[in-house]
Amino acid sequence: MKRILIVDDAATVRMFHRTILESAGYTVDEAVNGIEALEKALQSAYDLYMVDINMPKLDGYGFLRELRGHDIPQPPAIMISTEAEASDQSQAYASGANAYLIKPSKPEQLLVHVRLLIGEA
Amino acid sequence: MAFIKNRTSDAVAQDERKMPRDCASLVLELDNPDPMVRRWAARDLADCHEAAGDLVSRLRREDDASVREIIFSTLTGLGDGTAVAGLVECLRSQDASLRNEAIEAMQQLPDEVAPIMRGLLADPDADLRIFAVNILESLRHPGVEPWLIEVIEHDAEVNVCATAVDLLGEVGSAAAGAPLKRLKARFADEPYIQFAADLALKRIAEG
Amino acid sequence: MADISISEEDFQKFREFFYRKTGIQFDGTKRYFVDKRLAERIEATVSDSFRSYFTLLRFQASGEELQQLTNLMTVNETYFFREDYQFKCLVDSILPEITARKQDSGPIRIWVIPSSSGEEPYSIAIYLLEYWAGLNDWDVEIVSSDIDTRILALARQGIYSQRAVQQLPGRILQKHFARSGENYQISDELRSAVEFTRVNLSDRADTRPYRNFDVVFCRNLLIYFDDVSRKSAAETFYDALNPGGFILLGHSESMSRISSLYKVRKFPEAIVYQKPLEPR
Repeated sequence: MKRILIVDDAATVRMFHRTILESAGYTVDEAVNGIEALEKALQSAYDLYMVDINMPKLDGYGFLRELRGHDIPQPPAIMISTEAEASDQSQAYASGANAYLIKPSKPEQLLVHVRLLIGEA
Repeated sequence: MAFIKNRTSDAVAQDERKMPRDCASLVLELDNPDPMVRRWAARDLADCHEAAGDLVSRLRREDDASVREIIFSTLTGLGDGTAVAGLVECLRSQDASLRNEAIEAMQQLPDEVAPIMRGLLADPDADLRIFAVNILESLRHPGVEPWLIEVIEHDAEVNVCATAVDLLGEVGSAAAGAPLKRLKARFADEPYIQFAADLALKRIAEG
Repeated sequence: MADISISEEDFQKFREFFYRKTGIQFDGTKRYFVDKRLAERIEATVSDSFRSYFTLLRFQASGEELQQLTNLMTVNETYFFREDYQFKCLVDSILPEITARKQDSGPIRIWVIPSSSGEEPYSIAIYLLEYWAGLNDWDVEIVSSDIDTRILALARQGIYSQRAVQQLPGRILQKHFARSGENYQISDELRSAVEFTRVNLSDRADTRPYRNFDVVFCRNLLIYFDDVSRKSAAETFYDALNPGGFILLGHSESMSRISSLYKVRKFPEAIVYQKPLEPR
């Protein structure tokens, strides 16, 4: 069973992504900001992170930068943001993201990227 | 070696403040090279009603996150017009942590933020409008639902509406019903808007 | 009679709100537990439905009802060796790191707040005596504070019921406690190991002298504070700690809802927060 951690401060967005991913057979866990995501990432193993950029306390960039500094297995991360500008994308990749999607997400597009990065559930 | 005691009581007795703690000297201490001194100055300025302007201007050049966090706490406590104007300015910063701290501070100031909320929600910058909706997330004010309804009725930017509809799932009442349906029609090809509006509608119907 | 039925959507809505505010997550299996407590508060606040109660919870200016409800949703009992995986983390991971880094031979300083009736600071002292060889080489100062002077008097006295000590291994109970009727009196050695002080965590004048600590235990307290007091408590601990010092919160608490000043550290026994060695 492949496990995905959804990191987003908006409850409905988490639920939307959970619905899409679970219907494709993935197992899902949630965190509301970068700090909680870091706590979860340090305590259990995931196959993929799906990370919003704008979040309170610790944003998506900060989460990935800190995460990539820890000595744990480093699964891929998809960054999902309302920001369409190239500078945001390059900052996302520089922080350790492996893919970048624009909000609001489209289910098929999301699943294509998830499968590309971690394969079928 | 062993358990020892009494250092704390000594420290209490010894804690003679090195600097006079009047408001003017506290403001000067905001520029002290030692972050600990700056943190304590920012903390103690909570008692100085005129201090918001100096705190805001320190915020612009303060690069130590621990000092910034305390300045935001003190600005929240002061909560006057100058403080709120300074917080709004932070919303326009490129620095995400500054923006997020400002959002959290403004969430604690419903009475002061309410009069400027319409203006924030009508700002030409869509990002700023999203931050304004983020403030509503924890704002304890009766205006929250009407403001959110205005957003989903009129805002052209899908992500501003997406942020607002997420919140309506929590605070929406019957008044949000028709606007949510119109939002669905307006963004008929956005699966997320359909999902979030349906969820909010379901919660309104069942409550 | 109030309508206290709680629909599935009500439950989901509440669950999300409570998770966002406190970090506590209820899954579907907790439904009965949650409903029962919600119903209790709906009646106590004379709300006429879940919906009007939720509006109170969400919009009340003082945030008092959220604190009341949090109280009810969390079991806050204190007893010896409660959540002792954190004490194990202290002796096996945290103290070795602190002593390896320490430049001077001064004492290691631990601040335990709230002291409550003393079970927690005394548990730490016992743990150090029993499980930490470093006590042969280092002095340790344990300061434990509470806002309530009556509870501090009880803590200094050190008399406990059977219930408070039942988690303790028999050997430890025999060694450090004396039977006194129905109760247990903690040894003088342990009573003198902890300094109890009165502190209001929200009062700057009270907390100002608290500095140079290596470890802060603040378990099951901040969850009962409102957002503003919680954040300012985290800022207070920041100045109370040495660079690289550690803070341990209760098992249902997380710094993720409070402050971004601390680094998240993973040890084999627990997740702990650390004041950065370098400012950031």
